Amino acid sequence: MNFEFEEILETIRMTEIEHFDIRTVTMGINLKDCIDRNVNITCSKIYEKITRLAGKHVENARFIERKYGISIANKRVSVTPVSLIGDCFNAEEYVKIAEALDKAAFEIGIDYIAGYSALVQKGMTNGEREFLKSIPMALSTTKKVCSSVNIGSTKAGININAIKIMSDAIKETAYLTRDNLSIGCAKLVVFCNAVEDNPFIAGAFHGVSEAEAVVNVGISGPGVVLNTIKANKDADFQTLAEAIKKTAYKITRAGELIGRKVAERNGVEFGIVDISLAPTPADGDSVGDILAAMGLEDVGAPGTTAALAMLNDCVKKGGLMASSSVGGLSGAFIPVSEDQGMIRAVEKGYLSLEKLEAMTAVCSVGLDMVAVPGDTPSETIAGIIADEAAIGMINHKTTAVRIIPVYGKKVGESVDYGGLLGKAPVMPVSTLSSAHFINRGGKIPAPTGSLTN
Amino acid sequence: MKVTDQLIWELSNKAISELGVNATPENIKKYVENEVMKLNAGSTDTTGEKVMGRIILTSFGLNRPGVVAKISTCLANLNCDLQDISQKIMQEFYTLIMMVDITNSPKNFREIHDELDKVAAELNVKIYIQHEDIFAYMFRI
Repeated sequence: MNFEFEEILETIRMTEIEHFDIRTVTMGINLKDCIDRNVNITCSKIYEKITRLAGKHVENARFIERKYGISIANKRVSVTPVSLIGDCFNAEEYVKIAEALDKAAFEIGIDYIAGYSALVQKGMTNGEREFLKSIPMALSTTKKVCSSVNIGSTKAGININAIKIMSDAIKETAYLTRDNLSIGCAKLVVFCNAVEDNPFIAGAFHGVSEAEAVVNVGISGPGVVLNTIKANKDADFQTLAEAIKKTAYKITRAGELIGRKVAERNGVEFGIVDISLAPTPADGDSVGDILAAMGLEDVGAPGTTAALAMLNDCVKKGGLMASSSVGGLSGAFIPVSEDQGMIRAVEKGYLSLEKLEAMTAVCSVGLDMVAVPGDTPSETIAGIIADEAAIGMINHKTTAVRIIPVYGKKVGESVDYGGLLGKAPVMPVSTLSSAHFINRGGKIPAPTGSLTN
Repeated sequence: MKVTDQLIWELSNKAISELGVNATPENIKKYVENEVMKLNAGSTDTTGEKVMGRIILTSFGLNRPGVVAKISTCLANLNCDLQDISQKIMQEFYTLIMMVDITNSPKNFREIHDELDKVAAELNVKIYIQHEDIFAYMFRI
């Protein structure tokens, strides 16, 4: 036989016991050809195009799942940033586009559709101002639409005016979706250095430099890495690094194969493999548990940032060898609500917002799925976003904030969204005011690191 | 025939010039759909469930007489070619791995899957099938 007994059993163990799956196959679709002066025509063009190109996306992904025996947790679609295709519309008209996206998503049976996005790191057009205004309404009237806004970059600096608008939008979205534990905010990300080929929700969009349609794939696999680390309980760091790299190689190869085959069946180009370790709320599928297994008493102990940095780097090194089209965010995710280990650490008080922020300096993608008290002032949220954006801007990396000021909830309570979004304990936020700082307005100029020519 | 956006665009343009004053959106749509149907006629179904090549079948469970016989009979009935087999017994449990060529099976992948699921339920064991490419990708450089 071409394969060893052990290799075959290892694959079965990965998928059946260690929760190895493909986290998402996301079809990116260009909507630039759907531009029209009349919003209703734009909407019908968008609906027609998505249902035509991605009509069989779910069915094709299911076939590939069966063929290779590896499950695909999410089937998604991302589109050209909507602000670009509707610059002549007002906020109400933009909401109609969100509704068209939602309708298309339901029609083709995908989990989420993302790309209700704008790129305003340097400045805002009139259309983009209207677009940002439309976000809370769009997220509260739709179910599957996800939104992201890029407010900073290493090249352009940080747009504090846009951050102000976005922190108000987050608060308003929390209020408008208060009956569902402010779930709208779970579908809204604020980015610095956003990438164009990210397959992960809520931050995915189909970048302007992308092809007509592509399939990008996001791998998962914290459970597999966790078991690798457990099997190397007393190994030194070099040995541990080697073991993680080998595991990352295998899971990335699987991701690459699945992505290519789904793309082939859909008749579109294959884009990239995003080699992020993405946790799920399932037991044993946690990045937090990996950090603890590396020898920390729990996440949040001194050494956590170093452990995460090493993990993230090893996954990249293994993944790079495995695929010639690595892209997207490609770094370990540390969403609080979607990771049992992180939830546990927050509930026990081991992990604060400040420590999380430090961790985001060495991994992707930022403060993710963090619940804070509903009465957190908008300026404080803006300050948190500005801090994260600064880490991204200075370090030439993507950072993001997906924060949920849960309406009516206080520190000590927790919110349970169920499914992949998981359960978030409400975390304490500094009560010191950032109002004067944020209300200066304007832009933080681009850093010297932007002058690379 | 793969239906690309480029193709639809070309067909739409052709429709507009041929239909002339009758080029309403409905007529153009009908024309393009007709043309696409013509192009697709006779071509193989690219989205079907048929899978070529070899699969790896893995089975675990409580060992008892007839497990291999049942599984291989099922494969024979599906006209699948059993090319290699390897088995290990640990105490009362067995692990069985088979390499099977399914190219000549009249059944598609889903049907083979379903048939083997029936055998698994009958024997109260686990049976997994996966195309061999996944192992080649993951374990071979």
